[in-house]
Amino acid sequence: MSKKEYEKPVIIRVESGFSKAGVPLPKQRVRKSIGGVSINELVNKYGSPLFVFEEKSIRERYKRAYEAFSTRYPNVEFGWSYKTNYLKAICAVFHQEGAIAEVVSEFEYQKARELGIEGKDIIYNGPYKPYDSLMRAVKEGAKIHIDTFEEINDLERIAKELKKEVPVAIRLNMDTGVYPQWSRFGFNIESGQAMDAVKRIEAGGVLRLNGLHAHIGTFMLDPHAYYVETSKMVQFMNSVETKSGFSIEYIDVGGGFASKNRLKGIYQPPEIVVPSIDDYAEAITSAIYENIHGNRYPKLYLETGRHLIDEAGYLVTSVVASKTLPDSRRSYIVDAGVNLLYTYFWYKFNIELTEEKSGISEPSVINGPLCMNIDVIEDSILLPRLKRGDMLVISPVGAYNVTQWMQFIRYRPRVLMVMEDGSVEIIRESEDLSDIERREKLPKKLEIR
Amino acid sequence: MRLENLAINKNGFAFDPTTGETFTLNETAIKIVELMVKGESEKSIAQKLSEEFEVSSQEAFNDVLDFKERLKLYGLIS
Amino acid sequence: MIVAVSGINDTDNPGPGIGIARSLKEADGNIKTVGLSYDIQDPGNYMDFLIDKSYILTYPTQGWEPIMNRLLHIKDSFGLDFIIPALDAELPQYIKYQKELEDFGIKTLLPSMEQFELRSKEHLQSVSETLGITYPKTVKVFNTDQLKEALKEIGFPCVVKGNYYKAYIVKSMPEALYYFSEISNEWGFPILVQEVVYGEELNVVGAADKEGESLGLVAIKKMTTTHLGKIWNGVTIKHQKLLEVAADFVRNYRWRGPFELECIVKDDEITLIEINPRFPAWVYFATGVGINLPYRVLKSAYGDDVDRRSDYESGKVMIRYTYELITDIKKVSAFATKGESDE
Repeated sequence: MSKKEYEKPVIIRVESGFSKAGVPLPKQRVRKSIGGVSINELVNKYGSPLFVFEEKSIRERYKRAYEAFSTRYPNVEFGWSYKTNYLKAICAVFHQEGAIAEVVSEFEYQKARELGIEGKDIIYNGPYKPYDSLMRAVKEGAKIHIDTFEEINDLERIAKELKKEVPVAIRLNMDTGVYPQWSRFGFNIESGQAMDAVKRIEAGGVLRLNGLHAHIGTFMLDPHAYYVETSKMVQFMNSVETKSGFSIEYIDVGGGFASKNRLKGIYQPPEIVVPSIDDYAEAITSAIYENIHGNRYPKLYLETGRHLIDEAGYLVTSVVASKTLPDSRRSYIVDAGVNLLYTYFWYKFNIELTEEKSGISEPSVINGPLCMNIDVIEDSILLPRLKRGDMLVISPVGAYNVTQWMQFIRYRPRVLMVMEDGSVEIIRESEDLSDIERREKLPKKLEIR
Repeated sequence: MRLENLAINKNGFAFDPTTGETFTLNETAIKIVELMVKGESEKSIAQKLSEEFEVSSQEAFNDVLDFKERLKLYGLIS
Repeated sequence: MIVAVSGINDTDNPGPGIGIARSLKEADGNIKTVGLSYDIQDPGNYMDFLIDKSYILTYPTQGWEPIMNRLLHIKDSFGLDFIIPALDAELPQYIKYQKELEDFGIKTLLPSMEQFELRSKEHLQSVSETLGITYPKTVKVFNTDQLKEALKEIGFPCVVKGNYYKAYIVKSMPEALYYFSEISNEWGFPILVQEVVYGEELNVVGAADKEGESLGLVAIKKMTTTHLGKIWNGVTIKHQKLLEVAADFVRNYRWRGPFELECIVKDDEITLIEINPRFPAWVYFATGVGINLPYRVLKSAYGDDVDRRSDYESGKVMIRYTYELITDIKKVSAFATKGESDE
C-alpha cells in the first residue's frame, strides 16, 4: 500500500482579533513562472536565491510610460535613472527603447560611457561631481545639472580652460506641498536663491543656461505635486527668459513616480493608492500647457526609475529551516536576507508561493540567513506550513535592490533575465571569494602560511 | 494534561472545555495528539508517521518536537 | 434574489450590515442574504434569522484579487446577485471594480471614483462651498512635527481623526500624540486635525439611483451615543435646510448609491463634518419610519419603479438595545475550519 501524502503538523489557537489564523484563508498567492519560464526550472538550473528580471515587462512598461507622455506632449525624452538599477543588461534594454542615461556620479557616468552611450546622451546630476569628471562631461557634451554655487565656479574654470562656452542647467527645489520637501538639492525658487544662481551664471559670462531640472521626492502618491512642480518650473523659466538673456531649451521634471509596491503603514493596497502613469503625465503636461508663454515648447525630460523597473524584478528564495518562536509564531529561515533587499525598509513585499499548498495558515515570520536580529523580510504573514526547499517569490524588487544591496557574510546571488523569446540569460554571475578579496592586501608579516 | 480533554471534531476543530479556548488542527496534528494521549514516545510517534505518510522518521521526529513546543506554548501540555 | 451585505459586526461599534439585511428581509421575505465577514466572531455570522449564509473574507488591505475570488466562490456555491458593501475600508475597491463585478453578473449601486473622492478633505471644502454650508478648519498631517504645527494652529480641544476610521476629541498634546499613533498604526496616513464645531449633531441618510435621482432622505438627531460617538438612541427630525442641503448634494453631484451626511447644526448654520458613501449603521431607523432605502437601492438598480417619497414623521424614536443569542460552538467550528457557515 502506498503511503499518504505528508502535511506537517499544525495547531493554531483561534484568537480574537486574529481570527483568520487557522481559517483556510487567505488562499496564498501562487506564482509558478516568470516571463513564461517555470521558477522551479530556474532554481534547478541556476540555484537559489536568484534575482530574476523580465525583459518583456521592462519594455512594455517603458513603452506604456513613453506613450502616456508623448501622446500628450510630443517633445519628450526619458533618461534612464542609473541609480535605480545599473546592471548593464537593464540599462541596455532602456537605451534600446530610446532612453538616454541619467547619472548621479562619476562612477555612473563611466558606466554609461562604457556601455556605449555618448556624452550628449547623458544627464549628469548629483550634489558632488568631482572636477575631473566635470571636465570629461563638458568635453563630451553631457547635460550638466548644477547643484551648488561651487559647481558654477568649477564649470567656469573649465570653460575658460577649454576656451568655450558651456551650456548648463540648474537644479531647482521648491515647495510642492509634499513632505518632506527635498530642499537640499539645487537652488530654492521661493527664497530667490534660484534666480541668484541664474544671475551669477550670467555675470560669469562663460556658461550658458539652457535647462532647468528638479526632482521633488520619491514614491510620490499625489500627482498634483507634479502639477505644482511643473507649474513652478515653467513660471521660473518664463521669468528667467524675461530677466536674463538666456533661452531655456529643456525642463527636466525628475522622477519619483510610485510603483505598485506596498508602503508600510498604508492600509489600502497599491492598486488603489498608486496613481497610473496617465495621472502623472496629465498633471505634468497640463501644467506646461497652462503656464507656457508664447508658442515655443521646451523639451521635456523625465527621469523615472522605480516606476519602470520595480515590478519587472523578482527575488526567488528557498526555505532552509523553520522553528516555533516563543511567541508561538513560526519563523522560516530562507536563503536570502535583507542585505539583498534594501527596500524592505519601507515596503511590505508581495510574497508568493510557487505551488498551491493546502492546509491551515499559521502566523509566520520570514527571516533571512544573516546572523542579525534585523534580518526580517516579513514579520507578519499567514502561511501554510512550508518545508525545506519550498520557494518564495518576493516582489516587486526591481528598483534599488541590485544597486543598494551589500555584500555581507555571503556572496550576492545570480541575477537572471528572462528574455522576450523565453530564453534565460545570466546578467550578473554570483560572486565568489575572488570578487571579495581582489582588492585586499595582506601585509607580509601577517601571513599565516 | 489538558491535551486529554480536547474535544476534536472531524474537521479539525478543537474545544478545550476547561478553559474555553478553541484550536484548529490538521490531520497530522490530530494523529500526533491521539498518539500522545495514548502515552506514546516522540520517537515512536515519528516512526508511526513515517510508516503511514510519505516522510522520513528523522523529519517526522523534528516535526513532533516542534509540535510539542507549540502545545507547551499554548499550555496544553507541561 | 441573493444579496450580500458586509459590516455584519453588530457590536458596540456596529457596522451597517445587519440593518441593511433586516430592511431587505422585511421588504421581501424571498430575498436571501449573504454575510461578508472579516472575523469569525462577528455577531452577524450567528444571526441566521437575518443572514442566511456567511463567509469569511480576507481583509481589504490584501488587495482585490482574493476578495474577487471569494465573491466568485460565493456566486458559484450559494448564488450572488447584488452586493451592498458598507465598510469604509472596502469601499475604494468595490467602487474601483464595480464594472468587473457587473461583468461577472454581480450588481452594485455605488458612486463613481470621482464622486467617492468628494469625501476627501481637499474636496469637502469645495463641496461645502457649493452647498452653501461651512466646513471646519482641517489640517492633514503625516508626522508628529506636522501634528504639533497643526495643533498650534487649531488649538485645543480639537479632533484627531483617521482617513477611514476613528475620530477622537483631544484636549492636550500627549492625548493628541497618543491617538495620532493609535490611528496611524492601524489605518495609516494621513491623519486629520480638525477644529471642534459646537452645535447639534444631525445626520441625513439618503440614496440615489443610477441617474442621480434621489431615492429618499431621512434626517435624524443622535440623542445618546456610545463612547465612540456611535448613535444609541435617536429621533427623526424635519430640519428643512438640512434636507435641502442633502437634496442639493444629490442633484449637484448626480450621486449614485447610498450616502450619509454628518453635520453640526447651530440654528440655520450647517457645518459638514463628513460624507460617508455608504449606509450608516442606523440605516434600519429610516426603514422603521417607512423609508426603506436598502430595498429602494436594490430595486432601482434593476430598473424597477420604486417609491421615492421621503414622507416620514418627525418625532419617531430609535432605541437601540442589546440582546443575547445562545448557540453552539459547532457554529464557531464551521467558520474556523471552513471559513463559512454551515448551510
